[in-house]
Amino acid sequence: MKKHIKQTLSIFLVTGLTLMMSACARVSPDRLSCELLPVEGSPMVSFRILLDVGSVNDPPGKEGLCQLTLSMIASGGSKSLTYKEIQKKFYPMAAYVGLSVDKEMSVFTGIIHIDNLEKYYTIFKEMLLDPGFREDDFTRIKTNQLNFLERTLVSNMDEQFGKEILNLMMYEGHPYGHNEAGTVESLQKLTLDDIRAFYKEHFLQGNITIGLAGGYPSDFPGKVMDDFAALPEGHIPQLSLPEQRTPSGLEFIIADKGTPATAISMGFPIPISKADDDYFALWMAVAHFGEHRQHLSHLFQKIREERGQNYGDYAYADHFIQGRDKFPAQNYCRQQQYFSIWIRPLTNTNRHFVIRQALRELKKLVEEGIPEERFELTRTYLLNYTRLYAQTLGERLGWQMDSKYYGYKSFLDEAQKRLPRITHQDVNRAIKKYLNYENVYIAVITQDAESLKEALANNSPSPITYANPNMPEHILEEDKVIEVFPLDVKPEKVRTAPATDFFQKAGVPEK
Amino acid sequence: MKRFISAVLTVLLLLCIPSILHSSKIFPYDFKIEVLENGLKVVSIPLDNPNIISHYVIVRSGSRNEIEPGKSGFAHFFEHMMFKGTKTMPREDYDDFLTKLGAGTNGYTTDDYTCYFVVFAGKENLEEVIKTEADRFINLYYDEEMLKTEAPVIEGEYYASVSNPGRRLFETLRDAAFEKHSYKHTTLGYLRDILDMPNQFEYSQLYKKRFYAPDNIILLVAGDFGHDQLMEYVRKYYSGWEKSNYTLVTPEEPPQTRAKRAHYDWPSRTLPRLVIGFHGPAYSDEKIDKAALDLLAETSFSRSSPLYQKLVIDEQKCVFLNASFADRRNPYLLVFSATLRDEKDLSYVEDEIFKELERLKKERVSEELLADIKSNLKYSFASALETTDGIAGSLAQFINLTTDPGTVNRLFDLFEKVTPEDIQEMCKKYFIRTNSTVVTLSGGNAK
Repeated sequence: MKKHIKQTLSIFLVTGLTLMMSACARVSPDRLSCELLPVEGSPMVSFRILLDVGSVNDPPGKEGLCQLTLSMIASGGSKSLTYKEIQKKFYPMAAYVGLSVDKEMSVFTGIIHIDNLEKYYTIFKEMLLDPGFREDDFTRIKTNQLNFLERTLVSNMDEQFGKEILNLMMYEGHPYGHNEAGTVESLQKLTLDDIRAFYKEHFLQGNITIGLAGGYPSDFPGKVMDDFAALPEGHIPQLSLPEQRTPSGLEFIIADKGTPATAISMGFPIPISKADDDYFALWMAVAHFGEHRQHLSHLFQKIREERGQNYGDYAYADHFIQGRDKFPAQNYCRQQQYFSIWIRPLTNTNRHFVIRQALRELKKLVEEGIPEERFELTRTYLLNYTRLYAQTLGERLGWQMDSKYYGYKSFLDEAQKRLPRITHQDVNRAIKKYLNYENVYIAVITQDAESLKEALANNSPSPITYANPNMPEHILEEDKVIEVFPLDVKPEKVRTAPATDFFQKAGVPEK
Repeated sequence: MKRFISAVLTVLLLLCIPSILHSSKIFPYDFKIEVLENGLKVVSIPLDNPNIISHYVIVRSGSRNEIEPGKSGFAHFFEHMMFKGTKTMPREDYDDFLTKLGAGTNGYTTDDYTCYFVVFAGKENLEEVIKTEADRFINLYYDEEMLKTEAPVIEGEYYASVSNPGRRLFETLRDAAFEKHSYKHTTLGYLRDILDMPNQFEYSQLYKKRFYAPDNIILLVAGDFGHDQLMEYVRKYYSGWEKSNYTLVTPEEPPQTRAKRAHYDWPSRTLPRLVIGFHGPAYSDEKIDKAALDLLAETSFSRSSPLYQKLVIDEQKCVFLNASFADRRNPYLLVFSATLRDEKDLSYVEDEIFKELERLKKERVSEELLADIKSNLKYSFASALETTDGIAGSLAQFINLTTDPGTVNRLFDLFEKVTPEDIQEMCKKYFIRTNSTVVTLSGGNAK
């Protein structure tokens, strides 16, 4: 009987889902589309309103405009309600409107108990479709964005700061090449009229996907689609991006600030993304080399576990933002991707050693590939770990949307099918094809940048110091090799600048 | 097909989430509690979910237990050592076990407890997880060299942490506000103690003996399994573990008799910050004090409160304002925090917070506002229960406080009983100038 109920339920769900999905397909590039994940009986409803708009759409000289405009919607008033009134109404429902802005994609999010769906949606809809764009909201939100760039990012978030410098290096002169928040110079010039114009130009039906998941009534998606159909038809075509610039040798930028710990990020653009067949093999290689916050990470084992240098060391096969727990967040899809290594803060005295160590490990990966037993271990890991990726309504909906972007029905299901078919040779081939250790962008935040520059350019030996006087012999032996591991660093490829000079203007600060 | 079954099961999980607001219990799931002879308490929450299990080990020892001089930060350091494996399963094998399992796993340390979790798919893995975790907790093995290698990791973590001025501000507040109680230091501890950790091998053994014992630990498992099956595994692998019988006596904090003040000069440009801490009550699901104060924090300092609207939205003096009255086993601090735009407004914002507290002593909050707060708390708690991990994670801190998951329902029942008069009384009782510590942080002139 129980089996029969399950089967009936399954048929009902699949049929319902199929009908819903077909009703949702974009009928023209100028019209809305939607992604639905109905879960009958769920007391929650998750919203994801996805925009094919991001910081690449910032006009030159107006960097930060996209984020400021969308923040005016998520954290400002609507035409009929001030932000203060919205907060008062949201509060008893424990409701909010979330926002994330990336290079080519932005998303408004919300989750609400079914008890409050109507009340919430009425306000949510007004915020997005009839934003208030008031002067006082503008002043508040613009100042927050400026403060983030000027005082928070460079002063209080060294790890993120390092990643942002890496972005500046990889994408100099490229539409990805500025922080989503813009620059101090560009933000200061933005006006409320810029916001209104950006909204008018980009809030077009064809740029929007309505995402809904959970226990909403069956007529709810139609109602939302009708409401959003009030937006003008049309779309901004996906930007045709210039070719990514490969680093020429080891290119460094060292941000100088008074800090007891050094933060390091390194990487380079790669020509593939989740949409490519080779991605699955490269993903396995990079999971072995530096899986995010997992003991599987080879870099973590070498730098932290064996040597106790820092809290963790990881690598990524594409742009990674941490979502719930340590899982990847969704709706950060990009046409162009990059490989990166994240070395968490370590004492300044061992910075040169660890840069050498990370590059030496990368060289070994490229030249030797991954060992057979690690190949099997990594595959088993990914097959199991990815089963935990999509647990909440928001995560499931987000993955559904990302899957569509990369051309899959379900990327996570695809991984379950493809990973078992990947061979050890596939992985090592992908490593050789896409990774290298000679041409790498390296961002460092540290004290006394000039002394590091000199040490790098001179290839000075960089012995490591330990609190433990009795380190195992095999570690000390390897250390002797690492401390003189030659890095081909040309002095002209090492730029230094005070930390406070970053994000003032577009691009990398000139000394 | 397997995927499809999984999707259907996911749906079934969501189907079984009841409408929280129409239920008499805020925590809607049935749970079972059993205690082994050696004192190990087991809380199980079987759920009809998509084959995912959250396994939490709650050690009722945190930085509160660091009562001896020079040992601050030790609970957190020991958490790191707990990942070093055993003689039968060395660290590398333990790592490989978790890796093959594809588990979401980690540990974290708080003031009152340390928690280790493994979230994994596949109930067929439950026995191996119980067996492996039991082995780790009972037979943990590391030598002095391993400890010396791990110690500098904490130093790196400390530097990463204090690059955030908010962390530095709280470190300064706690140090200034407490005289005797071990809440004086943060979970990371003082830097001087962190630098001495490589020399603490012997103490680490003593620490394990005292606190990593079944009578100080609660095992919480939520997800797709049967209770009887779980208990069979737990008895099989945990019964041989011996009790510690150690009783911790935390120093009693003397009443604060004078207002305190401190300032931290941040070395680079940052937004100025302010915290005001008052000594408050410990967590309780019986006495009204803490529950009333929790509601006060929301009525008067949340996003919808008049003071927030004034300072953050209208005047735009602050970018952030909130009140955080954390639940702790012993009396802790009631903390008001503000991040400002301009250093010159620090004393203005401080005055506004004190003025608001004085006003609350004279004027009662409205019944309508109180109802909104109670509604917010319920919906907030409900939205955290979307996953097995959300359920186990939300419950872990409550289980630590009283060892009983039923405390959540009792707490929300207590919230329902709180009246505007109760809030007013608590304001008068706790928000006294001589009971306050103000800490400011600013900097920014240095390039």
